[in-house]
Amino acid sequence: MSEATTKEFSVIGKSVPKIDARDKVTGRAKYTGDLKVTGMLIGKILRSPHAHARILSIDTSKAEQLPGVEAVITAKDVPATFYGISPARYDETILAIEKVLQVGDKVAAVAAVDEETAVKALGLIDVEYEVLPAVLDPLRAMDEDQPQIHPQYERNISVEIHQDFGDVEMAFQQSHLVRTDRFQGNRATHVPMEPHAAISKWENGKLTIWSSTQSPHYFQYHIARVFGLKMGDVRVIKPTVGGGFGGKLEPSAAEYVSAALAMKTGRPVKIVFDRKEVFFHNRGRHAQHIELTTGVTKEGKILGVHGKYIIDGGSYTSLGIASAYYAGAMLPLIYEFDHFKFDCFRVHTNLPSCAAQRGHGAPQPRFAFESQLDMIAKELGMDPIEIRKVNARRPNTMTLNDLKVNSCEFMACLEKAREISGWVGKKGKLPPGQGIGIGCGGFITGAGYPIYRTRLPHAAAIVKVSEQGDIATLYIGAVDIGQGSDTILAQMAAEAIGINYEDMRIVSADTETTPHDFGAYASRQTLMSGHAVKQAGEEVRRQIIELAAELLEASVADLDIDRRVIFVKGSPEKMLPFETVANEFFIRKGPLMGKGSYTPPKLGGKFKGAAVGTSPAYSFAAQISQVEVDEETGQVMVTNVWDVHDCGTVINPNLLHAQVEGALFMGMGEAMYEQVVFDDKGRPLNANLGEYRVPTALDVPQVISELVDSYEPAGPWGVKEVGEGATLPTMGSYANAIYDAIGVRLYDLPLTPEKVWRAIHERKKPS
Amino acid sequence: MIIPEFEYVSPQSVQEACALLVQYGDSARVLAGGSDLLVKMKDGLMKPAYLVSLKNLDSLKAIRYETGTGVIIGARATHNEVMNNRLLQEKYRSVCEAAHSMAADQIRNIGTVGGNLVNAVPSADLPPILIALDARARIVGSSGERTIALEDFFLGPGKTVLEKGEILAAIIIPDQPTTGSNYIKFGLRRAGALAVAGVASSVTVSDGTCRDVRVVLGAVAPTPMRARQAENVLRGKKISRELIDETGRIAAAESKPISDIRGSIEYRRNLVNVLTRRSLKAAIEKGHI
Ligand SMILES: Cc1cc2nc3c(=O)[nH]c(=O)nc-3n(C[C@H](O)[C@H](O)[C@H](O)COP(=O)(O)OP(=O)(O)OC[C@H]3O[C@@H](n4cnc5c(N)ncnc54)[C@H](O)[C@@H]3O)c2cc1C
Repeated sequence: MSEATTKEFSVIGKSVPKIDARDKVTGRAKYTGDLKVTGMLIGKILRSPHAHARILSIDTSKAEQLPGVEAVITAKDVPATFYGISPARYDETILAIEKVLQVGDKVAAVAAVDEETAVKALGLIDVEYEVLPAVLDPLRAMDEDQPQIHPQYERNISVEIHQDFGDVEMAFQQSHLVRTDRFQGNRATHVPMEPHAAISKWENGKLTIWSSTQSPHYFQYHIARVFGLKMGDVRVIKPTVGGGFGGKLEPSAAEYVSAALAMKTGRPVKIVFDRKEVFFHNRGRHAQHIELTTGVTKEGKILGVHGKYIIDGGSYTSLGIASAYYAGAMLPLIYEFDHFKFDCFRVHTNLPSCAAQRGHGAPQPRFAFESQLDMIAKELGMDPIEIRKVNARRPNTMTLNDLKVNSCEFMACLEKAREISGWVGKKGKLPPGQGIGIGCGGFITGAGYPIYRTRLPHAAAIVKVSEQGDIATLYIGAVDIGQGSDTILAQMAAEAIGINYEDMRIVSADTETTPHDFGAYASRQTLMSGHAVKQAGEEVRRQIIELAAELLEASVADLDIDRRVIFVKGSPEKMLPFETVANEFFIRKGPLMGKGSYTPPKLGGKFKGAAVGTSPAYSFAAQISQVEVDEETGQVMVTNVWDVHDCGTVINPNLLHAQVEGALFMGMGEAMYEQVVFDDKGRPLNANLGEYRVPTALDVPQVISELVDSYEPAGPWGVKEVGEGATLPTMGSYANAIYDAIGVRLYDLPLTPEKVWRAIHERKKPS
Repeated sequence: MIIPEFEYVSPQSVQEACALLVQYGDSARVLAGGSDLLVKMKDGLMKPAYLVSLKNLDSLKAIRYETGTGVIIGARATHNEVMNNRLLQEKYRSVCEAAHSMAADQIRNIGTVGGNLVNAVPSADLPPILIALDARARIVGSSGERTIALEDFFLGPGKTVLEKGEILAAIIIPDQPTTGSNYIKFGLRRAGALAVAGVASSVTVSDGTCRDVRVVLGAVAPTPMRARQAENVLRGKKISRELIDETGRIAAAESKPISDIRGSIEYRRNLVNVLTRRSLKAAIEKGHI
């Protein structure tokens, strides 16, 4: 029995309203683009029209003379420091130095009194290019005849991974059935509602940046390094953020260029990307070309898996190395098998850079795996849920790539999904054109290691109780980008202290006023920041109880706090209000504070890349989708989705289910609609929200989001991941449901009506 | 995004508007809802020096019935006004449905019928159904007024018969014996998606025989096009499933689609085939929906 069901909570486990809901619905919440700093200029970036070209000359003289222009900069005016994920692959600069590597690459920039002037000035900059042949096809990027994009990456290989666990050849030999299939993923992108935006202010040798960021800490680290500043001289503040999804995890030109312009002009500079620039900056999903081979026994037990990938990294490395490793590391998570080989080439092309996007590297391989597992089940005459149950991971196990799994209720997820979806009555029994399919997933609850090498804890928190004892403020570096971390961390603090949610205030995500935290990515904050908050809150609670014990002449062990009342257990009439004790504390001892920090245990194996995929805890999910296919047009309507998640203890049910729905809809977009496409010159054809179609409210299915009872020992109060996990199963479950509906297998994302129609057409052709 | 500089004028009468358009010539553009024009200007695809706004011209806004003429839809009527208009809902619900198939509320609240037609985008959603209903375009210029068949209004992508100084004043759906009409749009999302293909049809059916028919295709030719060969398959014949299937096939064959990011030639032809069948079936069985 889990602890979650035996203990009554006062504040957590409840769907309290979001702490910023009122501000958001009234428009009071201020996003970076809304902010105005006295004396502020507007910055604009001149971007390359070519996918690959040498910059021969840049003439900025006309732009400089335009009235209202305060600065025009090119690479020679800014630090030439390369940046990226890790020193070996620092390959991007603030502005292009010698070559541009993609359409939309950063060439020059302007700061002017207003946007109109800045835009006009961009038009006055003359750049002479020598256009070079471009690499646009990732499958050809490694060919001898292709131009080399970066001098240091031969054959355009950004990273090459070969991991070999067990003996996959032997496993295949022992298999009853071995299948090889090829799958192709799509170049999807995050589409945050709020584009990237930053305001930089340079004053007295100190750089302050308001930024639409997922991680003030990493921004501070990279920006300080690139400009040669002390970290303490860089302050990054996160205003309200309108979504990130992985695309705002590293500084963009919005920060770097506005900072450079602020330093040059001495005035604050604001840069807000337009939608096209968001597509240019990208850092979205890598299109993965996957050849997957799986061997199983007669009973459907998976013996070995071999994945061979070529993935399109685009122009710069960005965080893409991690994405490449994740593409393999997450495959052995949800099913147990012993033999696994993972070969991956991340290649550079002259297209926008790819990096982290919700589910980081893992969704497309999961699509491939879940699709193939269904094909295998069909060949074996097994039910798709049965084959998953045969292989489902069990709790307290270790994956073949040394990921330690504590809680795991995957089996329960499968059972419950089967039950609530009415699977038994539907599978293979729906009328023609209708189908049902399953896809599963699992994901990390925070990365075991940070993005750059540091011994800093992963999260930290300070709680300060007011001198009157009426409220408490949580200071935390964790980053609310819309997902609601401020809310659930405030709930956790209130629970730990013993006060109400309404008593909590929060100051978050400001490198100067809040303690360090790595930020919003890898589904880490509920567990990691939550640990720090719990510890900080409990420290306050301990101090309050100690003083209360003195005042009540009781022993510490006999006291408890619940919702602001400190009482003697068993004799509740002996009590003191929280504010009385807190106020007395301040009078006697000064500020009443608690602090906490969290560092995950040492995790992972010793092989190259072993750090990727490590996490204190893993979520698991099963998703069943029901579809209706119009066989004449190929149009697929997803009518219902049942998602069952194993996510540990729930802090805020409404926010949790909202995360499931959001992740699922994002997975749906990638599964059905979304793909950035380019012309033969590498120019994006749909860098707008009209032709890059994310699902609308009318498109999304009815979602039933359910949970299974689960408790994660590595998480505070037993919590673990939810934000990304639900993106993973969706693509596979749709593909499998489509197969069930019309007997046609699709290998190529997104599953557009035209592709479905073509596949039906092919099937109908007399062979 | 920045809109290039322009001069804004808002004439008080249609005559004044026409005179201004003559005076400014090619440097002027009519501004209705701006949902297309302003986007193009922001994208730098168009740089008119003058925008002649129709916003004061209330005479261009009404949707009304005139005995002997038919339903008159002012060019400035917005898509949501069309969609919610009682008269149209009663007589030609198909037009309301076509308006409803477009964009989303924000655009439907500002985008106008006139803008949708004068834009002359092959994928526009109103032309097919209006042509299917034999609509006329009332055009006003500085030297007078003319009324032409809407079918003859379009010359090519972005090109219409409007001459310098002319404004599209209204669309007229004449009284007619048709018994049903219908428009089906195929977009790649349920809202906010342009048509990959669209098919409108109108039929005059009695005693199970198709006395007259119009099939109009959108997004599969440089202009909205009548599928005349397809119509000939059905016109005057006893309606049967086979015949409707044949009509669809012929319509697909005579369509002239191109491949682009929304769909290939083959796929669009398939859609024309399927949508023609479905549209005819709906028009025959369900009336003007
Ligand atoms: C997000 C979005 C979604 C859209 N979705 C759709 C869709 O689903 N289907 C679709 O068909 N369209 C769609 N459109 C295109 C557009 O909104 C419509 O075509 C709309 O009807 C244009 O009307 P408007 O009044 O805004 O035109 P404007 O932009 O004001 O004008 C368009 C053109 O017509 C001219 N013009 C306008 N009125 C007159 C007149 N009375 N006489 C002479 N010239 C005139 C203008 O000079 C200009 O050249 C969409 C646009 C956007 C931005």
